[in-house]
Amino acid sequence: MTLHKNWKGITLFLIPVGVMYFTFFIYPLGYVFVLSTMSWSGFGPMEFVGLHNFRRLVGMTSFRLGIRNNLIWALSLGFIQVGLAAVVAMILARKPPFWRSLRTVYFLPTVISQVAIAMLWYTIYRENFGLLNTVLRNFGFDHLAMNWLGNFYTALPAVIAQQLFYIGYFMIIILAGVMSIPKSLYESAEIDGATVLQQEFYITMPMVRDIAVVAMTLAMAFGIRHFEATFLLTGGGPAHRTSTLGILLHRNLHAANYGRANAIAAVLIVVGALIITLVRRLLSTRSAVEDVKQ
Amino acid sequence: MARRVFVLFLIAAFAFPVIGVFAGGAAEEEAIVLQFPTFWVGTDSKAVPVEELVSEFNQMHEGEIRVQIEPTPDTDGYRQTINTRLAAGDLPDLFIFQPDPTTMQYYEAEDVLMDFADELQDGWGDRFQGSQMEAATVDGMVKSIPYEIGVTPIWYNTRLFDQAGIDEFPRTFGEFWEAAEALKDAGITPTSQMTGGANAWTSMLWYSHIIGSIGGPDAWDRPLDHPQYEQAAEILLQLYSDGNTTGDAVGGDADVSGSHYLAQRTAIFSNGPWYIGRVAGDAPEVHQATQLAPAPAVEGGEHGHQVTFALSNLAAAHTDDPARREAVVKFMQWMTEPDNVAMITEEAGSLFAINYEIDPSIDPLLSEFVRVQNEAPFTLTDMERAFPVAVVQEFGGAIEAMVAGGASPAEFVEILKDAARD
Repeated sequence: MTLHKNWKGITLFLIPVGVMYFTFFIYPLGYVFVLSTMSWSGFGPMEFVGLHNFRRLVGMTSFRLGIRNNLIWALSLGFIQVGLAAVVAMILARKPPFWRSLRTVYFLPTVISQVAIAMLWYTIYRENFGLLNTVLRNFGFDHLAMNWLGNFYTALPAVIAQQLFYIGYFMIIILAGVMSIPKSLYESAEIDGATVLQQEFYITMPMVRDIAVVAMTLAMAFGIRHFEATFLLTGGGPAHRTSTLGILLHRNLHAANYGRANAIAAVLIVVGALIITLVRRLLSTRSAVEDVKQ
Repeated sequence: MARRVFVLFLIAAFAFPVIGVFAGGAAEEEAIVLQFPTFWVGTDSKAVPVEELVSEFNQMHEGEIRVQIEPTPDTDGYRQTINTRLAAGDLPDLFIFQPDPTTMQYYEAEDVLMDFADELQDGWGDRFQGSQMEAATVDGMVKSIPYEIGVTPIWYNTRLFDQAGIDEFPRTFGEFWEAAEALKDAGITPTSQMTGGANAWTSMLWYSHIIGSIGGPDAWDRPLDHPQYEQAAEILLQLYSDGNTTGDAVGGDADVSGSHYLAQRTAIFSNGPWYIGRVAGDAPEVHQATQLAPAPAVEGGEHGHQVTFALSNLAAAHTDDPARREAVVKFMQWMTEPDNVAMITEEAGSLFAINYEIDPSIDPLLSEFVRVQNEAPFTLTDMERAFPVAVVQEFGGAIEAMVAGGASPAEFVEILKDAARD
């Protein structure tokens, strides 16, 4: 192996970033794993407890439900939200009337605070005077009106559903990919008699596959670390049915149980890395663009 | 000669002011200065009355004692500073001591906090509520003076009670369920409850009242294995069943619980005096119609007790100087005089661990708080202060498991026990 002729300059430029990355990411990350083996209330000396925090977590219903819900979140955002975003991107790429305005409208919620959006949905879901129940009652479905966020069976779907509609971020990513597909491919397909659906299925989807995988990876990462909307809408309830590892982490920090909080953080990091690696391995193949080029 | 006179004149001219400064300084040095960092400043409701009391005290002891307020408006910062200074053994002369498991540890430390046990035995202690003084006493040492407390009786709307044909607040749970039926027949939901928020506040207060009725003043000393917890859970479950509370109580937070009471959708509620301002401002008719009562008694259980908790005690740094110690005690006695705390209550709405009365014309509801507090045969703290945070955090979820998930009261207790592990 030979050194690059400008290796000194390259090293000089990389050092500041490297130092910052190590100080503010690698070191704290390692410290999370160290603290996860400790019992510490924030005051006084830490006590080494080995894997006790992890064993305790495994025995907790709230932890098991948290892992399950994190997986549901990751899969829902990765497949349903990105799927919806892909469909809308494919429609907008065909430039229907007002497509630019529609693109802005779909993207707008992305720049609005999660807190504001959660509050908006709270007014929709609340049992008394909530929009959803009011609509149901007005249309004669009184029996369906309920405490959406307080029911064991509806709470998690309700919290996830409010997030799925906000597709703007992934739509923009996929739309950029769709727009970059050479027009000639569609023209050739049209000459060959391919319908619009066939064009989307056989040209657009394979061509944006890699971008979609990136979008799915991002969406799943958001799902794994999900916190805000659940915290604001249900606080993890009823009885942990909507809880996530982020919520549990927050609760343990609030209880000054830093060892267990770090054990949850360690699990969150490992589970997140595993899921995302697995998904990328399953979905990533050789780039369709490369196939076309050949 | 003229030159000598001029020199003498100059010496005199310089000497007089210098002598004056030293003389004045000596007079100033005679006064004992006590530093009092406090967060009862700025926009805090107690800022003005506390400043008035300190100022009056300084005037009364002019030339002897001077208490100097150090404004520290950030309450969290104040708590952290005091905790750090407690750990370092370097405390201000006077300060607000927030009793919790961390700060109470310093009762054991020698020469850190001043012990007022001797002075309190000389009659001063008689003005305090027994249970509050007991809570501030550890092994005979009283190293913080009980001061501001929270009292959380049961609130009920007399107008809605009249509408349902109920004359007075029920004394037993047997009578309570009858009253609840009467309220439901009149189209009124009996109680406000909630499982959300950090501690399921309203329901946690109900649970604390019920535990007090079953177990008396020492109820919280009993471990979670004791049947009282399951018995109280059965009553709590009943409060959530058969339309005894609103449908959104599961998952609801303090806003949900309070707003139902303010909107007169529910007739019974529980909270502390800090909520008076909200009721008076947002629902004046509810403010007028509200009266306070002790929680109903379980069969054969205690009645009349209240759930209270210490918010702020007063404390001082240990000193070996008898004059300084006397000055501190004088100030503490001044701040805890019944007339003085009554003045703070009337101006700020805060309640104190002292037996006192206020002018009912100022706010009848505030006066009610003082009444129920004075009439209570005993008080006990709320669940939040009796158990570790992890148990309190699990409390709302445990109610949800019972109400929405079908867990039994025994399983409810198991959830709490599991949270209490390690």
